[in-house]
Order: sequence, then structure tokens, then C-alpha cells
Amino acid sequence: MLDYMFRRVIGAFLVMLAVATLVFFMLRLVPGDPIAAMLADAGSEEARAAMIKRLGFDKPVPVQFLKWFGGMLQGDLGNSIYGSNQPVTQILAESLPRTLSLAFLSFVIALIIAVPAGIISAAKKNTATDNAFSFFAFLGLSMPDFWLAILLIIVFAANLQWLPAIGYSPISEGLWPWFSHLILPSIAVGTGFSAIIARMIRSSMLEVLKADYMRFAASKGLSDSTLLLRHALPNALIPVITVIGIAFALLISGAVVVENVFAIKGLGRVLIQGILNRDYPVVQGAVLIVSAIFVFTNLLVDILYGLIDPRIRYS
Amino acid sequence: MSKFKDIEFRANQELKDAYDFDHKDPLFSLSKEEISGSKLSRRATLRLMAAAGGLTLAQVLPGLGPKVSLAAGHAGGHLRCAWAGVAEIITLDPARINQVLQFQIASNVLSGIMHIDNSLVAQGDLAESWDVSSNGLEYTITLRQGVTFHNGDKFNADDVLFTFNRSKDPEKSIHSRVIGNVNEAIKLNDHQVKFVLAKPQASFLTKALERASGRAMTIVSRGALASMGDSQYGLAPVGTGPYKVASHVLGQGVVLEKFENYYDPDRPKLDKITIKPVDGVEPLAAAMEAGDIDYIGGNPVPAQLVTRFKSNPDLAVDIKPGPGFQSVWLNPWRDYMRVDNFNKPIEELKKEKGFMVRLALAKALDRALFIKQGLFDNGVAAHGTINPAMGYYFDDSLSQSSEQAYDPEGAKALMAAAGYPGGKGFPEIKLIVTPNSKRLGLVVANIYKKVLGITVIVDPKDFSVGIEQFNKMDFDMRLGGSGGDYDPDDGIVDWMQTKSKFNGRARNKEIHPFGFFSSAEADAAIAQQSVTADPAERKKLVQEANAITSNKVACGFLYHPVDILVYNKKITVPTDARIPGLHELDRIHFT
Repeated sequence: MLDYMFRRVIGAFLVMLAVATLVFFMLRLVPGDPIAAMLADAGSEEARAAMIKRLGFDKPVPVQFLKWFGGMLQGDLGNSIYGSNQPVTQILAESLPRTLSLAFLSFVIALIIAVPAGIISAAKKNTATDNAFSFFAFLGLSMPDFWLAILLIIVFAANLQWLPAIGYSPISEGLWPWFSHLILPSIAVGTGFSAIIARMIRSSMLEVLKADYMRFAASKGLSDSTLLLRHALPNALIPVITVIGIAFALLISGAVVVENVFAIKGLGRVLIQGILNRDYPVVQGAVLIVSAIFVFTNLLVDILYGLIDPRIRYS
Repeated sequence: MSKFKDIEFRANQELKDAYDFDHKDPLFSLSKEEISGSKLSRRATLRLMAAAGGLTLAQVLPGLGPKVSLAAGHAGGHLRCAWAGVAEIITLDPARINQVLQFQIASNVLSGIMHIDNSLVAQGDLAESWDVSSNGLEYTITLRQGVTFHNGDKFNADDVLFTFNRSKDPEKSIHSRVIGNVNEAIKLNDHQVKFVLAKPQASFLTKALERASGRAMTIVSRGALASMGDSQYGLAPVGTGPYKVASHVLGQGVVLEKFENYYDPDRPKLDKITIKPVDGVEPLAAAMEAGDIDYIGGNPVPAQLVTRFKSNPDLAVDIKPGPGFQSVWLNPWRDYMRVDNFNKPIEELKKEKGFMVRLALAKALDRALFIKQGLFDNGVAAHGTINPAMGYYFDDSLSQSSEQAYDPEGAKALMAAAGYPGGKGFPEIKLIVTPNSKRLGLVVANIYKKVLGITVIVDPKDFSVGIEQFNKMDFDMRLGGSGGDYDPDDGIVDWMQTKSKFNGRARNKEIHPFGFFSSAEADAAIAQQSVTADPAERKKLVQEANAITSNKVACGFLYHPVDILVYNKKITVPTDARIPGLHELDRIHFT
């Protein structure tokens, strides 16, 4: 197992390096002039020339790459070329806790809704309850998260004035300020994912419920809840965990629209702003982090398979 | 009734006196004694306001006394602001600032030598008094004494020189061009500096030394830059302004706190200000309506929210003319609207097919409809770069007299004469817009379809892509323009000269000898107005240049934005805090 994990970790780092290299060169192919974006309505030809030199854009692209790559291997992702030239590691370090907070709460909300909904739907297949859950699942899937976000803001922030409409408060400033700022965005993000996971649990459970060992368990006279939770659910979780793993990784970078609506500068927003500004080092750094999250989440999912299903062993 | 007539008579007399310039005096028609010293008299103030174009009868009428900062009201408190249409305040370092919404904040943290007032007239900020030589080439500035930076360092002439040298260096500042006319900055003593200009510059006080629009001489702290480094200083600059930066987290916002040792003991009024960037339209509205925020700054308030905010009894909406212009830029190197030489009399140009098309495209712009549909009635029709906020220099008659005044029949006739009757045979052309201005582009495209029968494809591009194509002259049409134009130089020098920085600066000069426009007579008038100190003479030159660019269709001028301020009624925003495009947060207070 340890040998397997070691090989996977090495593989993960190689994937990240490949992604970093690919992104570096692809960014240079994207049209758009970062210097013009930076100077906007200011700046002379001299200022432009000075900025090109200062940022090293006068050097050949391979030379720029080697400099950046060498720095990256030492943990230096460079500085943002935009504004005050903040170190990329600082920008990412500031945005990551916001994204993780949002992803974590969204994830919890998604599971709280999805797990019971999926189990009940499967247990009461083709009944009114199942249809109702299916209806709400499709509704959750169909609703764009930004639309739901705006709806939540109008109802809970503007009309009822129960929760703040925008912003983020770090957990260091108190649990309630942190939580109150994240409830609405987490519901907006989590609802869509809960629908996906609920549908996945339902179909997986239906498969398992047809299995011989379930009929055998039922013939022993076990209660419905024991049947469902002790025997069916663990067996149904393998495909679900794959989806959950991918969903969590997607939450890290995919909540950008909701982050924008709620004015939370998370990793997704950093990435989008970086792309809009052609802020190469920021985009490269953010993509590196996102790829790391994807790769390691997948690794974690693979390890979880083994824990959930003892039949799966890695060598 | 007779009392009002008396007031009106006195106001008219004052107005007449203000505009009664002595044309022999190049110093804004004021004597050296009047323009120098620590305070400006009411007469001098009114004359400067007239010279800068900000004086109208309405401004002279109320009470016939100079407007002063309101000291009354509830001091202290925490103001919560949203900065609209932006995801993060990327920098507050004046050397790097490239957006109006950034200097709206920085202007409350850092001081300039001068600062414009609500009439766009330059007043002393860190300058206690100033003296201008009779040839207009030397400006001797006496600095305020006893001023300290937020970190406790004393402010003196060395800081002015340090800022000057930093701003002059294009490697350190993107605004080196603003002080390009300064040959030398000399320290006379700890509290006096002298600027020696290469040639007289009418906008020297209002632009080069001004803390908001020019940014080059916004005084930075030597000590703080040395200890913090450029990067950290850009986030939380240390200045001598009324507020100090308590914290700044990129993308989450800026927290300002009252600077207790500010040189004016009456300001600032508020204890704390929180500024959050808010990019979305609905979240901005909801946060305002929920009472999460009290005041909106940053990019212009989205036009579609104005009526909604006006109907909310808790909110105040104040609209003033804004500084800037927006246009439909036309590429003269495209075959169907090609004009490779604008240096011909207008009647001769009108015989060329390419010019006919350009003129038709400008004449077809139904600005009233555009403002109604695109801006929900929040805008002013534009026919030149000079905006109504400049008052004195603004030429209202251009809307009637310009060749590009709206004339649908004339536009159709021109298109027919150019070989495109009813738009037949005219190619589909692309209008580059930013993703945020796509709707405005669609309104323009609809107008062209309706008036000329031509198809304009709206082509949203990220700003960095659109500006690159614009600079390379690789576009058909582009929707864009300028904001924060407080002096005529901001519009006509920056945009309308052959050598203007936006005039196809990245073009292939062998293929395109000029960018979107080049007129020798406009170049001459613009160059001359820049060095003309006499306001009346300068106004004449500015309006002449403006008319040339309008008549010869440097672009299809579309609209001037209005400055829309939205705030909760628990806030008082005094008249002297209403500088178009800026936010004088030190003057506002809770009611």
C-alpha cells in the first residue's frame, strides 16, 4: 500500500509539472496584451518599455520559462505582474482559506441533503416520495447557481435582512461572522451538487438493493434501516465516492460565479481575474494549485475505496 | 420678490466680474498677489472657477457666499462602502494606479501638492501658497508646515523631490509623462520647492500637481517605501491624507481609519471606513437595500439600478455631469471607410467615399435613443471629447453645429452616395466591446441597423484583447473612451493629436502613418492650448480643436457619462464633497 501511495504521489507531482509547463506556454498563445491592460489610460511609450523590461518580457519565452520553472521548484511562484506586484504565493495563500471554507460548507450542505434524499428515493422507488425527491433534484440541477445566489440574496439579505449580502469574514474574526457570510453562498453552490450526488446515490442503491446478498439479509429478518444503512449504503458508496471526490475538487475552482456574486475572492476568482488581466504568474500559480487539488483528491478517493471496500487492495 | 431680484442682480455682477479677465496677464487673469498667498479671496476663487469652467449663475446664487466644508453633523462612525464593478482594488500606489476607482480611494489616503475642488479648480493641498513667475515657467510652492505622514515622519521639501524623482522615472511610475514638461524640481528650503517648466503649461496646477487626476505628484512616504517595499506599499500606502490604511486584503477590501494628526483639524469626520469591491449588479443593489453598505463608489453605478435606488426612500441619488467621453471608434484604414489624409478642407473630404461612410456612421448615432435605451437616461450626448463637467470649456453649441450631429436622412444620403443605398452592399462590420459593455454595443448595432440598414456584429473581447487590437489598428469599430478628464488636456492631448498615446500606438507605422485620426490643424490648436495660460484664449483653442475633431470625425462621439452618487440618507454629503468622479470621504459624515 505504501509503495502504491509513493508511486501515486510521484505520479501526481509529474502531472502537476506537466500541467504547469503546458499552462505556461498556452498562456503565451492567448491573445491579449498584459502591458496594455496594466497601463489602461496611463503610461507613455517609455513607461511601457520600462515595464516590459522590468517584467522580463523582453527575454525569449524559453528563458522566461526556465526562470519561472526554477523558481517554482524552490517554492517561488513569482510576483503578480499587475498592480502592486504581490507575490503569487501570498495571493494564493489569502484566497485558498476562503475557497476551502466555501467548498467545505457547500460540501457539507450537499451531503446533508443528498445522502438522505438518495437513500429515501431508492427505498421508496417509484412512489410519490421518490417522484418528489426526483423533482427537487432536477430542480436543483437545472437552477444556475448564480441565479439561486441572487435569489437567496434578495430573500435573506435584502428582504429579511437575516444574513449579510456580500463579503467574507475570516474565522479568526469569530465563528458566527464567518458562518453567516458563508451560509448563502454555500447553499447556492451546494444545492446543485446535492442534486448530482442524490441521483448518484439513488441509482447506486437501486443496483445494490437488487443484489442476492440483500435478499439474503432481508430473509434474515433485518429491519429496513439496518438493511439500508448497514448493508446497502456501504456497498453503494464506491461509485458515489468517485463523484463526491470530483465534485469536491470542482468546488475548489468551480465556485467562481458564486464567489463573484458574493464578492468573495477565492481561488476561482483569482484565476478568472488573472486570465482577464493576462496576469501570467497568477494564472500559472492558481492552475498549479487547482491541479494539485484534483490530483490529490483523486488519490484520496482511491485510498478511500480500500477503506470502504476491503476487497480492494493496492499493491 | 425684490429681495430675490437683488440677489440675482448681485450674482450676475459677480459672474460678470469673474469672467472679466485681464487678457494681458497670463496667470489666469489674476494678479500675482491674488493668486499667491495662503488663501484665495472670493473674487479670486470665482475667477479661478470661471477660468476652469466651473462657474455658473447657480453656483454664485446660493447665499452669495463661498461654499465651505460643513462642520455640523455627527462626527465619528463607521462608513461601509461598496466599490462597484470591480473584483479587487489592485493597487493604491499612485505610481501604479491605472483606474479612476483606485485613485478615488488613494486620494483619501495620500495628499497632493494641489487638489481640485468641486468646481474642478486647483486649490492648495500640501501647498500652503504658490507663486508663479510672470513668464509662467516657474512655480514656487510654499509647503504646509507641521504635516506628518501616517507613520509619524515629518513632511518636508525632500518628500516632494523624492516623489518627483520617483514619478519621473518610467521604470518606477507609469505617470512620468504627466510631469514630462518639468525641467527641474529644486528644493529652496525645507518648506519651499520650485518647479521649472520647459514651456508654460495651462494644466500644471490642475493636472501635474493634482493628487487625483495626475497622480504624479501625489506625495509618497520615503520612509514607508523603504521599510515596506513597493509591493506592500501598493496595498497599504502611507501618506499625509485624512485617512490611513488599517488593512487591505486583495479582493476583500480596504479598511481606512481616521488619521488623528491630519493637517486640517476639522477633517476627517468619520472614524472608520470599510470599502468592499462588489462586481455584480444585483448583489450591489441588495447590499445597499439591506443596509449592508451605506455608500457606493468605484465604477459608475449600473444605469439599470438608478431608478430602483431613486424609488427607495432610505437612499439618496445625486447626479452631476461626469468627466469623460465614450465613442464609437472607426478605423480609417478599412477600405470601406478609408481616409488616409484628413488634412483637407471638410468640403473636399465630403467628396471622398471613405469619409462619407465615416460621417454617415457618426451622423446616424441617435444619441438620445442610445442614452435612453443603453443608459436609462443617465448620460449626456457627446459630440467631442470636452465634457460638460469642464463647464467653461464645454461647447454646448457643438450638438447643433457639428457635422456629426444626429441626422438620419443626411446619414442615409451619405451612405447612398458612397455606393451603399439602404446599407446594400456594405460589409458586415465588427464592433469590439468589453463583456460588460455588450448591451451598449447591441444598442449601437440596433441603431445602425435601423438608421442605415447595415449589420454591425457586436464582438465582446476582454479588455486586454480589445485594447491590443485598438492599439494595433486591428479593428473595424470599437466602443470605448475615457474617464477622469478634469482638464481639456485629458481629452484632446491624450486622444486627439497625431502623437496621442492612444492613437494607434502599437500600429505598424510603415503601413499606417497615423492611427485613427490625424489633423495638422487640430494638432496645432491642441499644442497651442496646452501652453496658453489665458483662459479665454485657451477656451477658444480647446473648442476649435474639439470642433475639428468632431467635424472631421476623429470618431463617432457617443456620450458623456454622468456622475451618479448613491448613499444612505443617514449620510450627509456636503456640496464641497461632490467632485465628479471622486469621493471626498473626509468631508462626509453621518447626519
